[in-house]
Amino acid sequence: MNASKNTARITPMASLGRFGLFMLRFAREAIRRPPPPGRTLAEAYAVGVAALPILLIIAAFVGTNLAIQGYTAFQLIGGQRMVGLFVALTGVREFGPIIAASMVAAKSGTEMASQIAVMRIRDQIDALEVMAVQPHWYLVTPRLLGILIAMPAVTTLSTFTMVSAAYLVSVYQLDLSGATFMEFALSATSPVDLLVSNVKAILFGAVICLVSCYNGFVSDPGPEGVGASTNRAVVLSAVSCVLLNYLISEAIY
Amino acid sequence: MLRLTDVHKAFGDLVVLDGVSLEFNAGQTTAIIGPSGTGKSVLLKHLVGLIHADAGTVECFGVDMASASEREIYSVRRRFGMLFQDGALFDSMSVGENIAFPLVHHEKKLSAAQRMERVEQVLEEVELPGFADRDTAALSGGQRKRVGLARAIIHRPEVVLFDEPNSGLDPMTSDAIDALILRMKERLGVTFIVISHDIVGVMNVADQVGMLHGGHLIAYGPPSELVHNPHPMLRRFLGRNLALPKGPQDPTTLPSLKLQR
Repeated sequence: MNASKNTARITPMASLGRFGLFMLRFAREAIRRPPPPGRTLAEAYAVGVAALPILLIIAAFVGTNLAIQGYTAFQLIGGQRMVGLFVALTGVREFGPIIAASMVAAKSGTEMASQIAVMRIRDQIDALEVMAVQPHWYLVTPRLLGILIAMPAVTTLSTFTMVSAAYLVSVYQLDLSGATFMEFALSATSPVDLLVSNVKAILFGAVICLVSCYNGFVSDPGPEGVGASTNRAVVLSAVSCVLLNYLISEAIY
Repeated sequence: MLRLTDVHKAFGDLVVLDGVSLEFNAGQTTAIIGPSGTGKSVLLKHLVGLIHADAGTVECFGVDMASASEREIYSVRRRFGMLFQDGALFDSMSVGENIAFPLVHHEKKLSAAQRMERVEQVLEEVELPGFADRDTAALSGGQRKRVGLARAIIHRPEVVLFDEPNSGLDPMTSDAIDALILRMKERLGVTFIVISHDIVGVMNVADQVGMLHGGHLIAYGPPSELVHNPHPMLRRFLGRNLALPKGPQDPTTLPSLKLQR
C-alpha cells in the first residue's frame, strides 16, 4: 500500500527529472572506465540465451501467421506469389526487431529491474556505495554492454526464424513455390534493411536496459515495491520500443 | 575525526534529525540508541554520505560531506567499513567472494591467493573458519552478520559502523555477536559506531552512549553515567531492558546489570 502511495506522489515531470539524473550518472561512469571485467559476457549470455527459446517459438508462429494472412490478402487481387515479399519486408523491417525487443523486455528487462530492486531494498546498493564501488558503473554498464552485444544476434535469429517458418507454411501448406517465395523475399529486402533492423535492435536493447535498471534503482520498499517497479519496467520498455520503432520507420522508409 | 554539527534532516513533513551535534572519538566505541524510527540509521548514513543533511555540517576525516566531490566522498568511504542490518550480502556470490569484494575493487595488486588468505584470516576472526566456499543464501541470520562484519573489516578500515547488529537475532546469537564486537574492538583498536536498540548489548560494548529521541540527542555519555541520567524518556527506554540501579553506582559494577529480555 505504501509503495503505491509513494509512487503516486511522484509526478511524471519529477520522474523524468530522476531518470535524467540517473542517465547523467550512468553516462559519466560509462565514459570514465570500462565495465567490471567478466560480467559483460555473462550478461550478454544471459540476455541472449535466456530469452531465446520463447522468442524463437513466438517468432516462428508470427511467421506462420504472416504467411497465412498475407496469402489471404494477396489472394483477393491474385497476387499470392507476393507472400514472400510481404513476409520479408514486414519481418526484417518491423516484426523481427520489435518481437525480439518485446521478449527481451519481458524476460531480461524484468529480471534486471527485479534484481536491482531487490538489491535496493536489501541495502545492497547502499553497501556498494559504502564500499566505494559506484553502483551505476557496477550494475548498469555490464548489463547495457551485454544487451547491446546480444540484441543484434537475437534479432537476426528471430527474423530468420520468422521468415523460415513463413517459408515452410507457404510451401507445404499454401502450395506456393519455394523459389518464388525466395525470389520475392530477396527482391524486397536489401542489406540496408538488415542494417536498420540491427540498429533498431541495438537502440531497443539500450532502452530496455536503461528503463529496467532505472526502475530497479528507484524501487519502493517491500515486495509490493519490487513488483511495481518490475511492472513499470516492462510496460515502459515495451511502449518506448514500439514508439521508437515507429519513429525510426517513419524517418527511414 | 567524525563530527556532526547542528544536523537537521526531514523527509517531507517528518523531521528525523533536529539539530543533532555529536563528535565521535578515535579508537572509541560509541553507541546510538533510541526507539525504532528515531533516525539512528539516518544519522549513520549521514556519516558515509548516503544521505545529506538539510542543514548543519557532517565532517569526516576533515572532509565536509555536503560540499565534497563524489571522488572525495568515495575516498572517505574507503576508510569506513559497515555492517548492515541484514548483512547486505550479495546472494549470487559465495561467502568468500562477498568478503573479498572490497579487495577486488580497491586492492588490485593482490593476487587471488593473497585475497583468499586475507579472506581466511577475517573468517577466523569472525569465528567462521572454512566458510569461504559456502553459499551465501544458505547462511543463518547470525552467520550473515558475521560474514557482513568480515567484509566490513577486510580492508582494515579506520571506522566500523554497525547498523542494528543484533536485530532479528535470538538472545544467544545476539550475545555472541556482542562478544564478537568486544573482541574485535580489543583486537583492531579502531573506532566503532553502533546503532542499536538492544540496550544490554550496547552497555556491554560501548565507551560512550547517546540516545536519540524526537530528532534530538537527549543524552550522551559513558554507560556508567547514562544509567543515572534522570531524563524520563531515557529512564523509560532503559527501564524496559535493564534492572536499573536505584541510586549512584560504581561503574565497575555495570556488567552485573541484569538482563530482562
